[in-house]
Amino acid sequence: MILKIALKELKEIVRDGRFRITAFVVAALLVAALFVSKSYYQSVNAQHNEAKKNARSEWVGQGEKNPHSAAHYGTYAFKPKYPLSLLDNGVDKFSGVSIYLEAHKRNEAQYMAAQDQTALSRFGDLSPDFVLIFIIPLLIILIGFNSFTREHENNTLRLLKSQGVSSWKLAAGKWLGVFIPVLLIVVPIYILAAIFLSNIKDYGQFSLGALTILFGVYIIYYAVFTNITLVVSALYRKSNLAFVTLLGIWIVSCLAMPKVSTAIADSLYPYPTQVEFEQQIAEDKKKGLDGHNPWNEESKKLEQETLKKYGVDSIQQLPFNWAGFLMQEGEKHTADIYFKHYQLLKDTYVNQSKVYRATAAFSPFLPARFLSMAISRSDYYSHWDFADAAEKYRIELVGKMNGALMNNSKYGDWDYLENDKLWTAVEDFNYEPPTYAAILNLNGSNLATLLGWLLASSLILYAVVNKIKVI
Amino acid sequence: MLNHNIKYEWITLVREKWIVILLLLFFSITLFAVRNGNEKVEDRNLSITKEQEKVVKLDAEFTADIDSVTRKLKSPPKKTWLDPRSLSNIAWDAPRVVAMEAVPLALVSTGQSDLFTHYAKPKIYGEAYTLGFSELSNPVQLLFGSFDLAFVCIYLLPLLVLAFSYNILSADKESGVLKLTFSQPVSVYQWLLSKLALRYVILSSIVMISVVAALLFYGVSVADNFSAVVKLFALVLSYMLFWFLVAFVVNLFGKSSGNNAVTLVSVWVVMVLLIPSVISQLSNTLYPVPSRINMIHQYRVAEAEADKNANEILKTYYRDHPELAPKDTTKENQYAWILSYFASSELVNNSVKPILDKYDKALAKQQTWVDNLRFLSPAILLQNSLNDLAGTSTAHYADFRNQVIVFADVWKGYFKPRMFANEVMKAEEMKELPKHTYNTESVKNHFASDLAGMIFFVLIILAGSWTVYRRYTATGILNA
Repeated sequence: MILKIALKELKEIVRDGRFRITAFVVAALLVAALFVSKSYYQSVNAQHNEAKKNARSEWVGQGEKNPHSAAHYGTYAFKPKYPLSLLDNGVDKFSGVSIYLEAHKRNEAQYMAAQDQTALSRFGDLSPDFVLIFIIPLLIILIGFNSFTREHENNTLRLLKSQGVSSWKLAAGKWLGVFIPVLLIVVPIYILAAIFLSNIKDYGQFSLGALTILFGVYIIYYAVFTNITLVVSALYRKSNLAFVTLLGIWIVSCLAMPKVSTAIADSLYPYPTQVEFEQQIAEDKKKGLDGHNPWNEESKKLEQETLKKYGVDSIQQLPFNWAGFLMQEGEKHTADIYFKHYQLLKDTYVNQSKVYRATAAFSPFLPARFLSMAISRSDYYSHWDFADAAEKYRIELVGKMNGALMNNSKYGDWDYLENDKLWTAVEDFNYEPPTYAAILNLNGSNLATLLGWLLASSLILYAVVNKIKVI
Repeated sequence: MLNHNIKYEWITLVREKWIVILLLLFFSITLFAVRNGNEKVEDRNLSITKEQEKVVKLDAEFTADIDSVTRKLKSPPKKTWLDPRSLSNIAWDAPRVVAMEAVPLALVSTGQSDLFTHYAKPKIYGEAYTLGFSELSNPVQLLFGSFDLAFVCIYLLPLLVLAFSYNILSADKESGVLKLTFSQPVSVYQWLLSKLALRYVILSSIVMISVVAALLFYGVSVADNFSAVVKLFALVLSYMLFWFLVAFVVNLFGKSSGNNAVTLVSVWVVMVLLIPSVISQLSNTLYPVPSRINMIHQYRVAEAEADKNANEILKTYYRDHPELAPKDTTKENQYAWILSYFASSELVNNSVKPILDKYDKALAKQQTWVDNLRFLSPAILLQNSLNDLAGTSTAHYADFRNQVIVFADVWKGYFKPRMFANEVMKAEEMKELPKHTYNTESVKNHFASDLAGMIFFVLIILAGSWTVYRRYTATGILNA
């Protein structure tokens, strides 16, 4: 019986010209988005590879230099793009792509794409995720808003009921009738994406498992919207009203809620401005990490301790270059200051994320959005992870330079030079992103919220259809 | 007849409570939106004020210190770089705040303001063009965007228009009133247009009242910013007119209410969501932004090359700038170390400038192209013009960046010749330090062309409505 109802629904939907046009448009948009994104990412990726090569050759070919000057000259870390970001570009447009790594200073990632684009880009790009997350729920509403209201309007509910079909079977049939057309669009796109992604060269390792999880998330998201659509359709007697209500729900959950939660998160846990942030760091650099141990005092203490440790009475007698040692200790000190302040910033970000998680109870869009970005490795967490890895590399790089100064040169010998032997001895920056297991683990609460939506909306649907009365 | 029509329409509307609901709904949304915009603007102004207060305080300290040392009340520190009279000290430690103060209507549209910093403090050392102008922010917030008045007007207002007008003809048709109406000597076109006109006037009033009330509530004087507010309403009301006319055309087809609702929503999705995002994506592909990371490489190569020669260049520098050469060669210049920096930085600047200029030119060209694409959708036109009014467009930030670079030169220009002359600062001179005033004069204003574009859309729809009327409505409206 369920199948029969589903088939009848499907037949009706497919015969409806409106559906055919819309479905065709949506599918065409998705395919177009996939192609456009592919060419865009290939060019970005080519740029990235070239930049990486250039940065390395600049570093290796910097000529003879004092190692500390080399640490000042520094190098760049470039954020890689991942295969699935072709489907969901996430926040990549709004986070910088390169980090300048130099002595004494942790820099923010520079050159976010959105800064070089006009405000037009704030409308969003036609990327696959735009269609998947905004447009397909609308399509679901369009297909299903009159599932039940139509029966009321045509007085066919009585006929149906006289066949002895139970309410939940009717609902299940109708549910499939709405959901199968969506699958007919999404599944081919999934296959197409899999073929696309496995054929792009030089594009990092592509994981079919991750792609499947990504589509799994979207399937759950669509199931939630299908449930909501049928609930509303079952509650109303007039198709018009059902449609307007559903549209309202869509606007609130997909357009308004993300912005409203942003406003709340920003009010409750504001980020410092760039200048404030830098000033706080500068303040700590001046006053010392805990506010009462300035570095110049700390370094005097260190000098005494070191002299005592090596049993000598002047820094000239130390078995290493004191300047290099002191420089490295200072570097550790500033690295700690940066760590502290970035940790504070991270706390703010974590608190903001909590706001988004709380407001996700009002919008299935939010958990789906966050999961999709996370699996595509284009979310804010991925950016943090990259920035932290770059910072780690920076500390190591500067440490090696100071180490060379400390161990290979004499105190006071500021003309001491190193060459490409040392530069090549520093390994290139190779970033390994977090594993999918770690990503899913981190996003457990988003997944739970999304599943919560699925469960709650299914239960409500079940309750509502059981109450449909034939009048 | 038409007067009667409008009168009864008014009575029905008032009795339906639609107007009250709309007013309350729109007013609360507007208030929330303006509140969000206002919060951002207040943060922005507050951080600028804080910085400026710091400068005033620091100036007072410097003035007092200089005064004490000059009058020998305090002995000068042994190291020059700690001497309050040292020009290099002031040029480095007491930089001015070059701020981009919010224009009065900034709270209307967040625009690009969440991406950029609103002040910079160029110093004697370092180049202003290398300053990062990024604001620290959670990119998720940038992705989701702000719930500001611009969002309400661009996205939500059309939906209110559509909800208010999707079934004007169809409802009467479905209830059978239409036949009665047309037993009177009145044309469907005029009848429908007059009904819509009434609704347009009502909704416009609601919008104007809500926006004015919200602006006043958040302390924006409408009287002082009269012309900007008029421009705002001209844009928003013509955008609304466009959407009313879209509803008008769809009504004229004479389909059922449900059909109209679905069609109108599809039009909204296409106009507000799809066209802008397609254009945005296309512009990335057709006119790609020149590569920044490639530019960094060229910059670094040129910089390294120039650096190699930089050590030897102070002599040639004096050859190029004889006016700066020391007059009294017997006395050692206390700023010697920074003077050689000036010389080397000029060399580096000259070699990287062509690269930066080339990049900026390519970027400006790309943005001009993309800017012209705004005429493809009224939603983009409105967004662009609201950002213009709020002073938050990309162009405003690019212009501000230029103002910072120009001021950085003014700042250096004040100290440079005096350092070469080995002078020191006098207390009374602290008041004469160069200052920056932000102005938006050099940012091109698109108001006229944006409004013209919007009116063009209105006229196209109006022309289309007449065709639809002749073809569909006049012949088939009373059937069925």
